[in-house]
Amino acid sequence: MAKIDTLKEEARKLLQDGKVKYIIGYGAGSNGWPAAPLFIKQPEDVDKLIWDPTCIHNLVRFLVDEKRRKGKEKPPDKRPVGIFVKGCDSRAIVVLLQEKFIERGDVYILGISCEKAGVVDDAKLAKKLAGKKVITIEVDDENRFVLTTAGGKIEVPVEELLAERCLECRANFPVIYDVLSGEKTKRAVDKPFGSVEKIESLPVEERWAFWKEQIDKCIRCYACRSACPMCYCDECVVDSIQLAVSADTTADEKAGRIKWIQRSAAPSENMIYHLVRAIHLGGRCIDCGECERVCPLDIPLRLLNKKLEKEAKELFDYEVGFDPDLPALISSFRDDDPQDFIR
Amino acid sequence: MKRTGVFVCHCGINIAGTVDVKKVAEELAKHPGVVHSEDYVYMCSDPGQNLIEQAIKEKKLDSIVVACCSPNLHETTFRNAANRAGINSFRCEIANIREQCSWVHKDKPRATRKATKIAHSAVEKVRQNESLEPLSVPVTRRALVVGGGISGIQAALDLANSGFEVILVERSPSIGGHMIQLSETFPTLDCSQCILTPKMVEVSKHPKIKLMTYSEVQDVTGYVGNFKVKILKKPTYVDPAKCTLCDECTKVCPIVVPNEFDLGLTGRRAIYIPFPQAIPASYTLDDKNCPDISTTIACGKCADVCKPKAIDYDQKPEVIEEEVGAIIVATGFDLYEKENMAEYGFGKYPDVLDGLQFERLLSASGPTMGKILRPSDHKEPKEVVFIQCSGSRDPENHCAYCSKICCMYTAKHAMLYKHHVHDGQAYVFYIDIRSGGKGYEEFVQRTVEEDGVVYLRGKVSKIFEDKGKIVVWGMDTLTGKAIEIDADMVVLAQAMRPSKGAQELAKKFKLAMDKDGFLAEAHPKLRPVESVTSGMFLAGAAQAPKDIPEAVAQASGAAAKAVVILSQERLFHAPTVARVTNNLCTGCGMCVAVCPYDALSLKDGKAEVNEVLCEGCGTCTATCLRSAIQVKNLTQHQVAEMIEACLGG
Amino acid sequence: MAEEFEPRIVAFLCKWCSSAGSDLAGVSRMEYPPNVVPIQVMCSGSVSPLYIFSAFNKGADGVLVSGCHPGDCHYIKGNYYARRRLNLVKQLLEYIGLEPERFQMSWISAAEGTKYTQVIKDFVKELKPLGPQSKLRRTP
Repeated sequence: MAKIDTLKEEARKLLQDGKVKYIIGYGAGSNGWPAAPLFIKQPEDVDKLIWDPTCIHNLVRFLVDEKRRKGKEKPPDKRPVGIFVKGCDSRAIVVLLQEKFIERGDVYILGISCEKAGVVDDAKLAKKLAGKKVITIEVDDENRFVLTTAGGKIEVPVEELLAERCLECRANFPVIYDVLSGEKTKRAVDKPFGSVEKIESLPVEERWAFWKEQIDKCIRCYACRSACPMCYCDECVVDSIQLAVSADTTADEKAGRIKWIQRSAAPSENMIYHLVRAIHLGGRCIDCGECERVCPLDIPLRLLNKKLEKEAKELFDYEVGFDPDLPALISSFRDDDPQDFIR
Repeated sequence: MKRTGVFVCHCGINIAGTVDVKKVAEELAKHPGVVHSEDYVYMCSDPGQNLIEQAIKEKKLDSIVVACCSPNLHETTFRNAANRAGINSFRCEIANIREQCSWVHKDKPRATRKATKIAHSAVEKVRQNESLEPLSVPVTRRALVVGGGISGIQAALDLANSGFEVILVERSPSIGGHMIQLSETFPTLDCSQCILTPKMVEVSKHPKIKLMTYSEVQDVTGYVGNFKVKILKKPTYVDPAKCTLCDECTKVCPIVVPNEFDLGLTGRRAIYIPFPQAIPASYTLDDKNCPDISTTIACGKCADVCKPKAIDYDQKPEVIEEEVGAIIVATGFDLYEKENMAEYGFGKYPDVLDGLQFERLLSASGPTMGKILRPSDHKEPKEVVFIQCSGSRDPENHCAYCSKICCMYTAKHAMLYKHHVHDGQAYVFYIDIRSGGKGYEEFVQRTVEEDGVVYLRGKVSKIFEDKGKIVVWGMDTLTGKAIEIDADMVVLAQAMRPSKGAQELAKKFKLAMDKDGFLAEAHPKLRPVESVTSGMFLAGAAQAPKDIPEAVAQASGAAAKAVVILSQERLFHAPTVARVTNNLCTGCGMCVAVCPYDALSLKDGKAEVNEVLCEGCGTCTATCLRSAIQVKNLTQHQVAEMIEACLGG
Repeated sequence: MAEEFEPRIVAFLCKWCSSAGSDLAGVSRMEYPPNVVPIQVMCSGSVSPLYIFSAFNKGADGVLVSGCHPGDCHYIKGNYYARRRLNLVKQLLEYIGLEPERFQMSWISAAEGTKYTQVIKDFVKELKPLGPQSKLRRTP
């Protein structure tokens, strides 16, 4: 497991020298695990930073808030924000760069490689612990999770507790960073889209039954949207209520808002909402799993996004979040894009 | 509250026969905002239009829908009528209930329901239409002609003689194109050079024409009326003003390379003049072949002997920017590559030639001074086989299309061969003889009857060399007999291809190409000289295979079309263009990337529309994740309402 | 006897090719079933995934998007973007369990009145056995 001592020293120096506005990393969670996002402004607080397989969050979402905040600062503090990123998180930064939402100079990236592990699935972990309180979680040299509890150590092969997305991850180390900790060892993945293929293999009516059951649960709390680093729009196209009104918003613009779906959490409207979200994340989702993590009803949302990640790869040979200079999936094409579905 | 009027046309029985027009009018009258709805037998007639104008005035309508034939037919008619009655022409929409409804259905109740939905959808659209005025921009009253062959020359002269400045860009060192390589032209047997050189001279002397040879267009931006063009002028290392054409330099140049003008039948030096009548009359030092010119000076021999000191090794490429209002692309053709015709031994046997090489042999100024001699041993060939459709009309292996000019020039070749070699025999293998054109059929008949050329209908199966002869195996499909000819020379009527580099050029100019790589015209019948890009026109073989008179006619047509633009002070442009809602735009630039016209750019982190460049296609709209960019009068809001209307009821 | 199910179809036709092709079908008096209500858009490239979802949401049994053949787009390349974007839409809709027949795309040129007619006939024929689309349809 990668150590973050060097990153901590880097963080301390950055804060001491005033090179960054603040640093976003992981600290101990209030109940021991999982780790929680930690914002640090003072060099002495650097020691509170931790790194373990419960550092589930994609902290990149906070850059969206930072951008809004900076927009209001007078004068804006233009120093970069230091941010700890895993492989998936780093790809979120790449997409934000691709979409010019942030500039490279806005962030100082402290990258950590997941090496051969990743982050835990909290449900699997809770089950394994069966009520015991975990003190530390580490990955040993034989690629096992070592769970230290009051009652002693439990050793489990990482595969048993890893989040599904980590098991399907093809880039488990940061692709963009200023400093990096850990080895760039690539995990061998048999079936990068195994979870999607399982659903695809179902007959159409069973697929529908599966998704209907899942999406019917949605209460339209929009937590998925709030946690997603790609859902940075000032106003979501499915909302017709909160047009970002400014001084130059014309009456026509206000009147011209389209009600694509109704606000009620009716099954049809839920489905359209999630379809719109999925299609808008096509070629943009980096599978950090935040939408699914925050969903209070445990809708397997990443399976929707993962489907389009799969199609982007298989149909268009497009991989998300590796090259900030690449045009977006849907703002590019190749002459020989598949068209066997067209009459 | 909107006040919309609906007018349902019977079109005699064309619509009313299948659609219950009264019912459509009644149904639409029920929709909120529709304050007037009526039907009439012929809305496009004068009384019909009067009816509309009257209703607009009397009922104080602010928008109208005419449910009638396709908008391609009478949209302008009804928009003008709306305008006359005092409402903006963009507040009139057409519901197509004829071509897309009454003419294709028989079931009257269902056709009526569909017509109602189509009209309802148009009502929903028009209610949100804005009043718009056409955009207007000033015109740069100069033209660019790309390509200095006969088409480009003709277009440039016509434009210049109409009083407009023209920049004529040619990538080789001289204008003249392929026509200057030809010996005589069918069906009159005029000497090609004799009829072309006066035009070339006229170009070089014309005060309105700026000739840029050895130059290539690098980049085109802008739009109709206002293009900005970057032209790369390659160094010739010779100052034409000083060069006296004494030819001393070529005598000392140690480098010999194949001569392009003679298609490799002769050599030329690294410093050369392509042909004696070249325009501009000057030498070019070809830096691809002069060994060291890019690093140090060359061997220096040419400069040493040049008395007028015309040679300057320090010349550098120059990029020249020009502004023009219209562009004519006349980039011509090349013959289908040798390598592709291995089955005919082309490229393998020196005495298998293509049509242009044979032209050079026929030419009085050619490598043999007009004597027909075999390249291999300089003997006079006594049996010559001409093969038509070499690479043409062969969709399986080569080009599917007919190259159009080969039947005629092969007849000419065979005839001229007989004029040169009286005791020789010419054979022509052909699939069909296509001799449509003034005097063309008579010309082919003359070849057969007066000059005794043997025409064999069939394809050649094999060509191989045997004991100094080129053996041609073929089949005469009219007699069913196998044919074997021991020929001394074979001439292939190679297919015409778009000139090399046409594809990159099309990209630079944002021109569309057809499946064969020729530049696509805007409409195959009605807009044959216009490209798909407004303000750019096509001339000559770049658009499709054609002979000289056709190329000249198209060039003059293209020039006339360019004059239509250049003769105006200002141009008008459809105002249904994209518009950005600033507070929704995050500046991701996806719309900028997809815009086919470079009409979008990012400014201060927001997308910005250049309204004059925007053609209103709406690809940006579908790309934007935030619906922050919309096309005026076809916004997503409008489409959303139209969808609802189409599915209602 | 119960009335036969007649699917309701929305067709987004690009102005320059497919709408012109459907006009040609009219001029040539070809016959096809009246189940399709066309919406003319400037370019297939302008058809947003939102249109497709919305049409199903508003009760369409089938949605067709038709544009110019590749290489023939009036706007040079709009149809290429459409091809990529709408392929993703199609994959997604099938993945969530919408019958694949319900969303279709075609290339129809201004000269292909016959093809337009055939596409509509086939579409209607394929939709009939599926019955009404209720999966995405707005629950009243």
